[in-house]
This record gives sequence, C-alpha cells and structure tokens, in this order.
Amino acid sequence: MIKFENMKIANTILIAGCLALVLTSCKDDEIITCVPMDGSTLKLTVQPTFGAQDLHLDSIYTTAEGYKVQFTEIKFYIQDVKNGSSTIISDGLFDFRSRGTLLLEASGDPLDFIELQANLGVDSSINHDNPSEFPNSSWLNISNSNDMHWGWNPGYIFVKIEAKADTIADGNDIFDHNVVFHVGLDANMQTLDYANLNWLALGNDVHELQFGLDLATFLQGSTQSIDLQTEYSSHSAPGQEALTLKVMENFKEALTLL
Amino acid sequence: MKYALIAFVIVATFFSCKKDNVGYEPTPYELDIPSHFPDMIIPIDNPMTFEGVALGRKLFYEKQLSGDNTQACAACHSPQTAFSDGNQFSTGIDGLEGNRNSMALINLGWQNFFFWDGRAATLEEQILEPVIDPIEMHETWPNAVSKLYGSQEYRDMFYQAFGETGIDSVKVSKAIAQFLRTMISGNSKYDVIYKAENNLPLSASDQAMYATVSPEESAGYDLFKSLNGADCFHCHNGPLMQVQKFSNNGLDPVFSDNGRGDVTGNPSDNGKFKVPTLRNIAYSAPYMHDGRFATLDEVINHYSFGINISPTLDPLIEYAAQGGVQLGPFEADLVKKFLLTLSDESFINNPDFQEPQ
Ligand code: HEC
Ligand code: HEC
Repeated sequence: MIKFENMKIANTILIAGCLALVLTSCKDDEIITCVPMDGSTLKLTVQPTFGAQDLHLDSIYTTAEGYKVQFTEIKFYIQDVKNGSSTIISDGLFDFRSRGTLLLEASGDPLDFIELQANLGVDSSINHDNPSEFPNSSWLNISNSNDMHWGWNPGYIFVKIEAKADTIADGNDIFDHNVVFHVGLDANMQTLDYANLNWLALGNDVHELQFGLDLATFLQGSTQSIDLQTEYSSHSAPGQEALTLKVMENFKEALTLL
Repeated sequence: MKYALIAFVIVATFFSCKKDNVGYEPTPYELDIPSHFPDMIIPIDNPMTFEGVALGRKLFYEKQLSGDNTQACAACHSPQTAFSDGNQFSTGIDGLEGNRNSMALINLGWQNFFFWDGRAATLEEQILEPVIDPIEMHETWPNAVSKLYGSQEYRDMFYQAFGETGIDSVKVSKAIAQFLRTMISGNSKYDVIYKAENNLPLSASDQAMYATVSPEESAGYDLFKSLNGADCFHCHNGPLMQVQKFSNNGLDPVFSDNGRGDVTGNPSDNGKFKVPTLRNIAYSAPYMHDGRFATLDEVINHYSFGINISPTLDPLIEYAAQGGVQLGPFEADLVKKFLLTLSDESFINNPDFQEPQ
C-alpha cells in the first residue's frame, strides 16, 4: 500500500476548498478565514537535567560516586496518554538526540486535561503487534520506532539510556566504560499519573506542559542508586531483572512535572 | 510584460506539444511492498508513475549525464554488486578517485538520510550531486539537460512523465528517485526468519523457503542477535536490517575522515557514519565507508578482535574494552553463514532494474 502524507493532502484540500469558496463567494462583506479546524494544540516537553543544570548529550557530568559520565542517547515511549476517558494521543516517543525536548504534540483543549495518566512503555495488548502495521503517524510504526523495537524478541524498548563513563578517578578522562540500559518487556511497564497540571499558554492556542528528567536522580534515586562501575548494562535479559526494574523505577522518579 | 511571457510560454508549450505529438496520461505505479515492511512515504510533489519510473531507469543507465558521455550512475552502482561498486574507491570520468566506497542502493525509499555522512536529506536532493561532482560524473546540469533535450525520445518521455515540455535537473532527479524507490529487497531467507520470529503469516513460498534455512544459518542468527555472541543486532536489525543512525563502530583510533562530524561541525559526531543495511551484503564487497575490508571474514574479524577505542565509539560496541566480541573461527563462520541469508537473488536479477534495451 502506498500512503501519501495525509495531513498535507488534507491541508491542501482545505486550502483548495477555501480558495474555491473565496472565489465563488459573492457577498462582499463576508470574511472567510482559511485556518484549519482543531486550532488548539497541546505539547508535552521534557528537559533533561543533571541536578540543577540542563543536560547536554556528550557533555561530562560527575556522579555522586565521583565517576564522570557522558550521556549519548536518552529515549523513551509513553503510550495511552489520557485523562480518564479523554485521550490526548495514543503514543509519543522522546528522542533527545534527534528531536530535542519535544515528547509529543496533539490537538486538544488544556481544560480537558487537568490530570494526566500514561504508560511509561507500551501496553502488553499492543506491545507484540506487527510493528509495520501501526499507522504511519504512530511512533510505534517501525519506520518511526527505528532502534526502539526488538525484532528478535518482538516488542518495544520502553526506556533507552546509553552513556560512556570514566569510573577510574585517576585524573585521566578516558571514557571507555560503556553504559547501556535497554529496558522493555511487559512486566517492566510503569504507569505515570500527574495531577494539577500547569499548562503554559504559548500563544496561537498552543499550550505546553513541561517535564524535567533529572539524570542525577535517575542514578541516585531516593531509595535505590545505580552504581555505573558495576551496574552498567541491562538488556532486560534473564538474570538482569533486578537492575532492569531499578532502571524503570528510577527513571519514573526522575521524570517530574516542572 | 509578465503576461506576455506567460502567453508566450503557453503558446510555446502548445506548439511543442503538437510537434512531439505525445500525450500526458500518467499511470499510477503501485509499489510491490513486502507484507512485513512499513508503508513507503512518497513525497507529495513526486508521485510514482509508470512513465516516471521508466524514465528514471533509462536515466540511471544514461552516460550522457557525465562530462565525457562515458559514465552513468550504474558505473558505480551496478546490479551485480547490489548496485554498488566492486572497487574500493570509484573512479570518476577524469580518472580521479574519491575516498569513500560506493553505497549499495537497496530499499532507499525508507532511508531518513543519504550518503555515508547523511549530508542529503532526500533522495531527490541526493541525486543532484553525482552529476556535478568533479570526482564523479563532472558535468554541469545545463549541459547534461541540453544533451537530453537533443533527443526526441527523451523529450517525449519527460512530457509523458511530468506533463510539461522542457527538461531540468529537478525533473531528472525526480524521475531517478522514482526508479530508485522501486528497488525493494525483501525476499531473502532472512525475511522469512524475520516473519516467523514476529509471528507474521508465512505464504506457501515463504514456508518453502523457511524449510531451507539450515541449522548453521539459524545458529549464526542466534549468535548475530546474542548479547554474549556477536552482538550485531543493535545496529543492524528489523525489516531494513539497519537502524537509521550514525555510529562509530571502532574502525580507527583517530580519524582521517570525520564523516558525520564534518556535516554537523560537532566534534562528538567525528568518526560516525551511516549504519548501512546488511541486505545483499554478499554482493556488495568491499566493506565500510572506505571499502577497507575486502571480505566478510575481515569484517567479522574486525568486530571480534579489531575494535579501536576512540572518544566517539558507540557504547553499543559493548565489548570494546576486550577489543571486540571475540568470536572463535567456528562461531565466525556461523555468523558469516547467517549474513549470506540476506542475499535476495530476485532483487539482484530483477529484470525491471537492469539496463533498458
Ligand atoms: C563515480 C562513482 C559514482 C557515480 C557515477 C555515482 N555514484 Fe552514487 N555514490 C557513489 C559513492 C562513492 C557514494 C558514497 C559517497 C559518500 O558517502 O560521500 C554514493 C552514494 C549514493 C547514494 C546514497 C545511498 C545511501 O544509502 O545513502 C545514492 C542514492 C546514489 N549514490 C545514487 C547515485 C545516482 C542516482 C547516480 C547517478 C546520477 C550516482 N549515484 C552516480 C559513487 C557514485
Ligand atoms: C554500534 C553499531 C554497530 C554494531 C553493534 C555492528 N555494526 Fe556493523 N556497521 C555499523 C556501522 C556504523 C557501519 C559503517 C561504518 C563505516 O563504514 O564507517 C557498519 C558496517 C558494517 C558492514 C559493512 C557494510 C557495507 O555496506 O560496507 C558489515 C558487513 C557489518 N557492519 C556487519 C556487522 C556484524 C556482522 C556485526 C556484529 C558482529 C556488526 N556489524 C555490528 C554499526 C554497527
């Protein structure tokens, strides 16, 4: 099947239709505005930080243990984003390197979303579906999920953090310690629930909800920490369950409303 | 003045149409997309038509696009080598060599960026480059276009494809892009392995092919995707057998070619190159952006023992500290057997992709 960029087609039709309307309308005093309907846009953004400072990929930060770390990838899925029975959007993918701080954008009214629930990860009811069959607009479509889908163990990676660390405090910055957390599997999905949402009006009927993602908290959670010298790799494989779950729990703690 | 010009163009168009006496009735081209692939997103300003694809195919094999009329795209992208070049570096019309290995042209309709360093964002944009590249076809676009315009056959074909008289570089690149989008490879043993693994339905011919997957090929695939085995699948996987990203896979400790870094100007991108597909890899030797490895054995040896540490090395080269994944000769051979399951003869030999007669 070939699909064209549907949104663009829709807008072209809208504009063409509008133009036809303008051309055929005879009343001089009528003002026709050619603006797409559903004007109201909701945006969710995530600003990664390391403690108090904004985090930049490939920059060097020092952990509580005194290790130096450079993050190279931060990606995660949220899915079934809603307030009770009103859905904002079916899924969103955060990809700091390719897409910056944008988590998702959808049309909707902020008044409908004074609270928000979502899955951190992908629900088991769709996690194992054919990744080529999601609509082209979905971040779960394999063209968009890219390296966030496991073809060999069908399902999505929920949270992906990759980094390079220097865990030897000898004054030489040699980042030869690879850090790879790829967490998926149904059992590890978490749910997110936020109340008292503070939507920022950006003008033009765009409203933004800002989250922070503190990687220092991710490593040093309130109840459990991740020591990169020994806990540097999880692919959610058998035998890695404890670290795998800790990655998800600490990630959830690190993701907060601003 | 403006109106006079438009009127003139209309009159000119009218007359030239009459003279060439061909009509504009484009036939939509339905791509044959394998069932386990995602949709291909076609740019709205370059819809696929039979006429466009036929023209693109002819242009892909057209030597007049080069300065001395000796070199077509196919010179460096020939069907027998999975539309790449068997030489380490391709030689342009002036006898000059570049410093990058020609890339296999496979499933380009699903790529997010083009060239080893990703400097082109679209196929249409990419195609404008080789014609004017001084170390490749070394021609100017006005010259190339006027040579094509001299031929009645091309004038007709361009009219049939685009419904306008006149030829320009944009139309040439659009037509070639349409042809390249038809070059889909999704009929290898790996494809049935992928479908079976993802619980997708297997057709009768799929099942017949699945039955030919040998125990060694299966064991090779297990190693390919195993964290404690060859650990290849983080970068080469899915229906395309590649992920869309730039990565440093440990070829060099210091870089003579900065790759992506020279495009972005960001030193954190130095030494990173586009992750290539492994489809039809048996045909597309030599390997890597600089064609440094002549055989798949050399490639597997690199990932086993030859990893060089550098500041931008991908953390997914997980055993870098030990020099690589340390496959023994028996395991290396199994991985190679799996890589050969990515060969798709129906792609290499597809008559629709060969030089038109
Ligand atoms: C002289 C040899 C040569 C000729 C002629 C040539 N190419 Fe290439 N092609 C290359 C090389 C080398 C690369 C990789 C260059 C780089 O990455 O800088 C390449 C890369 C490409 C890519 C990028 C593929 C990918 O996966 O990113 C496409 C598409 C392509 N060529 C199409 C064409 C077309 C179409 C023509 C004719 C208009 C053409 N080439 C002519 C040598 C050639
Ligand atoms: C971290 C990501 C990554 C991993 C893991 C990885 N590769 Fe690659 N692979 C790449 C990149 C990037 C290139 C291109 C590098 C270049 O040319 O500079 C490449 C190139 C290749 C090529 C050459 C393709 C061509 O067209 O020239 C082959 C073959 C290959 N890899 C096989 C493997 C095998 C086998 C494994 C497992 C042992 C593996 N790769 C693991 C990223 C990776």
